[in-house]
Amino acid sequence: MEPEPDHTKAAAAAGAGNRKHLAMLERLSKRAVILSPDSNSSDASPVTTFLSCFAAAKLAAESALSACRSSPEDAPSSLATAAAAIDDLDRLVAEASHSLPPYELRSALAAVSDLRAAHRLAASDLRPKKSFSFRNKSKAPNKPPQDPPTLPPPPPEQPKPNVQVILPGFGFRGRKDTTLLKDLRVSDEKDGDFTLTDLVSCEVHLKGKWRALYVHKLKDCRVFVGAVFGSVLIENVEHCTFVMAAHQIRIHEVRATDFYLRARSRPIIEDCSGVRFAPHALKYKGIEDDLRDAGLEEETGNWANVDDFKWLRAVQSPNWCLIPEEERLQTIEISDVQDREDDK
Amino acid sequence: MGLLSIIRKIKRKEKEMRILMVGLDNSGKTTIVLKINGEDTSVISPTLGFNIKTIKYHKYSLNIWDVGGQKTIRSYWRNYFEQTDGLVWVVDSSDIRRLDDCRAELHNLLKEERLAGSSLLVFANKQDIQGALKPSEIAKDLIGRTTADASQWPMLVID
Repeated sequence: MEPEPDHTKAAAAAGAGNRKHLAMLERLSKRAVILSPDSNSSDASPVTTFLSCFAAAKLAAESALSACRSSPEDAPSSLATAAAAIDDLDRLVAEASHSLPPYELRSALAAVSDLRAAHRLAASDLRPKKSFSFRNKSKAPNKPPQDPPTLPPPPPEQPKPNVQVILPGFGFRGRKDTTLLKDLRVSDEKDGDFTLTDLVSCEVHLKGKWRALYVHKLKDCRVFVGAVFGSVLIENVEHCTFVMAAHQIRIHEVRATDFYLRARSRPIIEDCSGVRFAPHALKYKGIEDDLRDAGLEEETGNWANVDDFKWLRAVQSPNWCLIPEEERLQTIEISDVQDREDDK
Repeated sequence: MGLLSIIRKIKRKEKEMRILMVGLDNSGKTTIVLKINGEDTSVISPTLGFNIKTIKYHKYSLNIWDVGGQKTIRSYWRNYFEQTDGLVWVVDSSDIRRLDDCRAELHNLLKEERLAGSSLLVFANKQDIQGALKPSEIAKDLIGRTTADASQWPMLVID
């Protein structure tokens, strides 16, 4: 049987506001409709009636949406069907909203908005929205018809400038079998950005405080760097040893290389294999000052906290490990290393 | 539906903007966000995943999504595109070697339909580094080569 509406409550609500009073009137009139003899669901409550109608319409909308996904050629018509079904749902909810308990109303509204979102998504997949573009509104319509609307031919691919030519000023590049030394404290360049590229079998010493370091394409090299108060980016390196202290260290595409690090943040590796880590171990006259001035005097232990972006799991990555203590290099003293050749 | 439109109107009044920060790794996205927010930038690990900061600016509330830029996780950028109002593309102006990568990734993004309608800001970061490309050079390299894109995407470069 039709449950009696809570009259006392309804009356209280009506007293609270004219709007609620109107709602009650509407609810009562709806009850009259449902109770009328031509209604074939007179024995069901309005909530049950609504829920079954809603479920049927929802099913129709969902099946239309899934149809447009499964058969793209009929997608436009399926989309239209889905849109109509969703509109039906909206109407159903709107009509029943006065007689529905708050929970049912909320969940029905949520279901409709979910379907709308799904429909929007399907529609945007089907016919992509026009990208934003500026249009000249004053464009005269009597302009001679343009050539077919083909895109302008892409500009001819410019020959790639030689990377070595365009790299920023400072750096060692394209060297073999030599010792390279740069002491920022005695050079007149106040800028501390440095690049190492295309080095084979070299020993590189960079003393002082550096702002940033870019390392690319090194093979069989030993690289010793004082303090970097910015970031270090190391790419495409194999069979090398690095000893350095830096705020940020990124290591990409590196194979069989040992790193002796001190880092303010966690070093990361990506596309690497056979890389090993140990604590920083470098000495030269004045390195304490460089480390302190760069905010790197403190041993954070982060040299062992390596994040492997190719191994985002809880278990240890197979791509890196710590260097066993017995294999670690002794502290390296580079105070007296001289340039083997005049570099400047 | 009356109720829904009322809710939408209220939301619009709040003036929430969703800003997405993307760019290659090592370009300085997290540093920029923390700097703008006045936070300590001395210890920043390369971003694994993403950070969200909400910044109040006049009557706007900016939700800034700072998403990691490492190669492996760039494919997840797409998960953040929905309902993005502003896109900030951060460029390391001194990393000339990877400018090709940078351009390719940006153009991938510009093809994305879900970003159509959001504004693009190219942030030419690290201008203080000697030998860094000028903003105008970055603009020419990143956008200038495809004239179609240049007309579609208004661009502003900050020094």
